[in-house]
Amino acid sequence: MGLSVTADGGRKTPWRDGSFGYVVPALLLIAFFFIVPVIMLLMRSVLEPTPGLQNYRELLGSTTYLRVLLNTFTVAGLVTIVSVLIGFPIAWLLAIMPERWSRLVLAIIVLSMWTNLLARTYAWMVLLQRTGVVNKVLLSLGIIDKPLALVNNLVGVSIGMTYIMLPFIILPLIGVLKSIDPAILRAAALCGANKRQCFTRVLLPLSLPGIASGALMVFVMSLGYYVTPALLGGTSNMMLAELVAQFVQSLVNWGMGGAAALVLLLVTLVLYTIQLKFVNPNRAR
Amino acid sequence: MTQSFLSIRGIRKTYGQVTAVKNVTMDVAEGEFMTFLGPSGSGKSTTLYILAGFQDPTDGDILLKGQSLLSTPSHKRNIGMVFQRYTLFPHLTVGENVAFPLRVRRVGQAEITDRVKKALKLVRLEGLEERKPALMSGGQQQRVALARALVYNPPVLLMDEPLSALDKKLREEIQFEIRRIHQETGVTILYVTHDQEEALRLSDRIAVFSQGEIDQIGTGRELYADPATHFVAGFIGDSNFINAEVLSNTDGNARLLLPGGTVVDGVPMHAGKAGGTSASLLLRPERLSLSSTRIDNGLTVTIKDITFLGNNIEVSTQTGNGEILSVRLPFGHEAISGISRGDQAWLSFEPKSTHAFV
Repeated sequence: MGLSVTADGGRKTPWRDGSFGYVVPALLLIAFFFIVPVIMLLMRSVLEPTPGLQNYRELLGSTTYLRVLLNTFTVAGLVTIVSVLIGFPIAWLLAIMPERWSRLVLAIIVLSMWTNLLARTYAWMVLLQRTGVVNKVLLSLGIIDKPLALVNNLVGVSIGMTYIMLPFIILPLIGVLKSIDPAILRAAALCGANKRQCFTRVLLPLSLPGIASGALMVFVMSLGYYVTPALLGGTSNMMLAELVAQFVQSLVNWGMGGAAALVLLLVTLVLYTIQLKFVNPNRAR
Repeated sequence: MTQSFLSIRGIRKTYGQVTAVKNVTMDVAEGEFMTFLGPSGSGKSTTLYILAGFQDPTDGDILLKGQSLLSTPSHKRNIGMVFQRYTLFPHLTVGENVAFPLRVRRVGQAEITDRVKKALKLVRLEGLEERKPALMSGGQQQRVALARALVYNPPVLLMDEPLSALDKKLREEIQFEIRRIHQETGVTILYVTHDQEEALRLSDRIAVFSQGEIDQIGTGRELYADPATHFVAGFIGDSNFINAEVLSNTDGNARLLLPGGTVVDGVPMHAGKAGGTSASLLLRPERLSLSSTRIDNGLTVTIKDITFLGNNIEVSTQTGNGEILSVRLPFGHEAISGISRGDQAWLSFEPKSTHAFV
């Protein structure tokens, strides 16, 4: 008793044998420390300073705040697109390279994920600043004649976040690409498909579910990302999570903070629903 | 020499220190069904992959109608291939799978529809255009793969153990289909298998591969009746080998001394070795006669086991110096009555039905 899988391997409804009791502590924990506070925050968005929708009216009516929304979607979109464009070839190489090499590269990728987020973001600050390595190299190569502004703006945020999001697209894609039998690509080639046709007509359609779920994951994570935009971004071009933090921390305006948070939550939930449709395991491949 | 349709000339393939294919040379006629038969690692698949363009040979050349294929990449060779594994495109329907080679060749839609229909009719899957490969049986999937490989009328069709994933009954059914399709289309087929029965059933000619080389090329009958090497003799048909001493060998007719003192004259033998050397003598189980009464100049054996196999009976016998010889007798053969395990018996054979190898 206790496990939700019976001895013959058949799955049983987990509640029937009383095993539901085992998840109660976890559910209570989530309810008290996550769901309740979130609801309370969202309640404050319609209750403070007076009951009504004035917080939402202000948020969606002001160009400043709409600008923040636009920034958020632009950066998240850009990060997603660039991550897919960079991540796909890397994942493909990792899927086809000899095991001992792919293990090494994978270890490097995972290790970078485990490195402290702040440390990595500060590292980008050093690299991207006016006197940083990137600008110095470009200057010495004569590609530019004065340093580019790569930090304290959305360019810096996009670069930093793309780097941070890459593993989240590469790791699921490797699995999808590895599951594609190389013989299928050989068959395509012998059928007369050139490299480009093999890619567009076979490899890409077969890896699309992986790309879609990875991209949505990156997009959703980017929408609510805080640390990197806060450090690499400028004060003039904020993203939504920064706005929420500013409302709550600096302005102590819980009503507006809650409203901004709800907008973020709704967008995320809508995208999550789309993702569920995309990666539905019951859909025939 | 007249130019042959497909000519494989001195193909060699090495991977570092390992030689996968040593020296493969053969000519294949247009419309021929040629099978590469051999155990795994004998170089037959590598040779096929070189033909497909998936690998480049270290040495040698491949000519199709006199033109070298080597500088042509796979997708421009216009060769058809059916693989060992299921290689249908899982995201496309059966119809789109078969249409794929035509789509990448930018054939018009009306012609595509027409040719896909004909190709599916050829493999007896008409009307299944809309089905997804994942919903089909292994046999059906390989039929679709066959239709996809034939829809663009390739001059040569390569088949790399296409039936090895199927069960025996289904395998025989599709072997029959492949024969029919070969006769209907007249396409030249190069077929790789390790199954001698499959090779004999399908092929016009068989090339027997062993350790990266071709031991012999010939029709099934030729390989069975006149094997060039000990390996071919052991690979095609069932076989017993016993050690013998070559007393003399003139013009391919050897006089052998068998253990126990039996002397046989007129045994076919290829290599012109002088007397005094040892050789192994091939005895086909179905060409051996068994007698419960003494035969002059027969091999004296002890019955070890008698196995009933339905349409025939296999008798395992042992010679005086411990060599096991199996004898196959048709069901109801009179020699079997009154013989039981442990009895003494005598084996005889027609010298022409045997073969000696050095």
